[in-house]
Amino acid sequence: MLSRVADNLYWFGRYIQRAENTARVVNVHANLLLDLPRKVQFGWTPLVDIFGAEASFRERYTEFSEANVVRFLLIDAQNQGSILSSLNAAREILRTTRDHIQREVWEKLNDLHYTVKERGEAALSRSKRQEFLGRVIDGTQLLYGMLACNMSHDVGFQFMRIGTSLEQADMTTRIIDVRSSNLIRSGAADELRPFQNIQWMSVLRSLTAYQMYRRHARIRVSGASVLRFLLQNREFPRSVTFGLNTIAATLPHLPQNRAIERTVDRTRALVHDANLEQLVESGLHEFVDEVQIGLAQVHEAVSNAYFRL
Amino acid sequence: MGIDWQRYRCEKFHDELFAAPAQPRAAARRLAGYLDSLSAAELAERRLAAELAIKVMGVTFTVYTEGRNVDRAWPFDIIPRVIARTEWEKTEAGLKQRAAALNLFIQDLYGPQKIVKDKVFPAEVLAESVNFRPQCQGMKPRHGIWAHICGSDLVRDGDGTLYVLEDNLRVPSGVSYMVENRLVTKRVFPELFETTNILPVDDYPTQLYDTLAAMSPRTGDEPNIVLLTPGIYNSAYFEHCWLAQQMGIELVEGSDLTVGDDDVVYMRTIYGPRRVDVIYRRIDDLFLDPEAFNPESVLGAKGLMRAWLKGKVALVNAPGAGVADDKVVYTFVPAMIKYYLGEEAILPNVPSFLCMDPKQRKHVLANLETLVVKPANESGGYGMLIGPRSTKAEREKFRKLIEAHPRNYMAQPTLSLSTAPTITDDGIEPRHLDLRPFILSRGDSTYVTTGGLTRVAMVKGSLVVNSSQGGGSKDTWIVDPDDDPLAQTQTQRPAGGTA
Repeated sequence: MLSRVADNLYWFGRYIQRAENTARVVNVHANLLLDLPRKVQFGWTPLVDIFGAEASFRERYTEFSEANVVRFLLIDAQNQGSILSSLNAAREILRTTRDHIQREVWEKLNDLHYTVKERGEAALSRSKRQEFLGRVIDGTQLLYGMLACNMSHDVGFQFMRIGTSLEQADMTTRIIDVRSSNLIRSGAADELRPFQNIQWMSVLRSLTAYQMYRRHARIRVSGASVLRFLLQNREFPRSVTFGLNTIAATLPHLPQNRAIERTVDRTRALVHDANLEQLVESGLHEFVDEVQIGLAQVHEAVSNAYFRL
Repeated sequence: MGIDWQRYRCEKFHDELFAAPAQPRAAARRLAGYLDSLSAAELAERRLAAELAIKVMGVTFTVYTEGRNVDRAWPFDIIPRVIARTEWEKTEAGLKQRAAALNLFIQDLYGPQKIVKDKVFPAEVLAESVNFRPQCQGMKPRHGIWAHICGSDLVRDGDGTLYVLEDNLRVPSGVSYMVENRLVTKRVFPELFETTNILPVDDYPTQLYDTLAAMSPRTGDEPNIVLLTPGIYNSAYFEHCWLAQQMGIELVEGSDLTVGDDDVVYMRTIYGPRRVDVIYRRIDDLFLDPEAFNPESVLGAKGLMRAWLKGKVALVNAPGAGVADDKVVYTFVPAMIKYYLGEEAILPNVPSFLCMDPKQRKHVLANLETLVVKPANESGGYGMLIGPRSTKAEREKFRKLIEAHPRNYMAQPTLSLSTAPTITDDGIEPRHLDLRPFILSRGDSTYVTTGGLTRVAMVKGSLVVNSSQGGGSKDTWIVDPDDDPLAQTQTQRPAGGTA
């Protein structure tokens, strides 16, 4: 497999995953705001923070209004992380790797891209948005399904898996980071307590983790247990540990992978050994930073081993 | 009752399917009868099915328009063009003969240049050839083959003669569409394939793979073959992907390749560098290697020429093969056939006038309104003067161009290109067409596609068949009418009566 093709397939995985996660996060955020009392409203700023895109946002918008943020994240072609840009990038990649991926995948991605490009503008309003985001999510899931079921699980497929897993792990840490910084602390006034749960629930919902969490935890939603689930659970596909395990599982299919193995193991250990009861009270942000650095190192190691020859 | 062939006016030109209104040629008889049995609604339905199939199969070509590249659905007319097997066999022999002579000619030019010394081919034509690559002198590629893949354009004139219009020896394209057209036709008219003896076309990728493999400088091991593309912005990118996929070889870009100090070509893979033995390059000579040619090129790879000259890699077609792909050199092909093979050309050239010859030039300049003037080195139908359709200003412009650079121009009489029934918005009408077969030369054997790609000018009266300029295409059938019992018994009956 050519290095350039491997690089492309890796990013294809990342872009599709990014489009899906962005759709989910926007959807859940809108619902969360509806549930919170006015005095703890934190508006739409955190959404831009999740994607680390504040600078890019301020270049073109002044106000963090719902309309601006939603446009920025969904259909702003100048925002490289918008759903439209992610799908567009994935599509450009597929053009150059058409010989590795079946025509059907190309057709579905084409469809999805045109849906977002042509109908996105009309779907920014609150009433249309949910259905629109639902279509984006369904569309990306259809792609995963086709890839997983119809494509040979060859080395190209492994690179795609590394891309999706790393993107998901990264996104999970971002959601944890931003959501928790806005959380109502345990020392807050009594009247706000009920809303604490809603917020943790929204963290789970952003990652479609709520139902799986309930089945797994069978206790009321609490900060430390949510963190444990999203960081350390070995069975939930969007947890950080699951993503790192998946990457580790691809390595036996690939050549010369000692350096990657080492960074994956180091990051896994960091996540595994974390004292979550303590982190939920303080130091979570710093901890997430450390995990993100670990994930970035995995990316570097993969790039060095396969793409930059 | 569907098509009323009585109303199909085909008398003005030679028609590929009909000898006279409602009088199909023997090889097309079944097809005409079958189309006649379809209602107008059914025919419209089949046409729609074909459009859908092309969209779903993702058959596209890229056009550069309004500053960006757009993928367009491949234009296709569902009514096939039919050629009788007996005629095709003769054509095939003519094409093989031509390819053999062209390869001998190229080898000679980069070697002893005997044909020039024997004054069969003028030294001044060679001296002014823009496609002659001095870097290739003294080189002898494996089996002496330079133009492994040749796409020759054939046209039929009013009297029914099939002429060779040009030979494309650089990076001819279109073969993927030939195969895809057949797939679409099979989906649209499956019934016809059960009753008619239509020769298959899908062998091409296998034949091409064998041709490429035969050029590998390393014998013994399974050769590592790649297709080198300029990338997604090239108009033939679809075909590059298609061929790579069909042959199961890597589709590479220039940046994927490196040439080591050992003059071996390597591709960058996740396993580290891998040796490349054969490069099917779809990049023009001048962009192939910034070290040897255009230093600005980012499409090729540095050192490819060095590796090729050292015999460490095969380049297909060989650099410099384009020297024979020149509309002036073309006029000498019948002479080459005689010179190298001692044979008469089986397929005639279109009669041509060379502007470099003072007498012929005078004739050309005096008859610009009736002739087609072509520059020696343009492709895609660009830079031509079509006399009967030109304005006075255009003719004056060409007069000056010819006088300034006579070597760069040749002229031919305006041919009355043959037609075939084509579905248009105004019903079924005759449209002009040509045919591009592909010839694969491997030294010990030569393969010719069964038929080739038929290109059709979709605009009424137009002679321009290039897809970049509004041309369409048709499936091409080589049919054996002798195998068809119905054809024997029905020779006297017009097709209109069969349904």
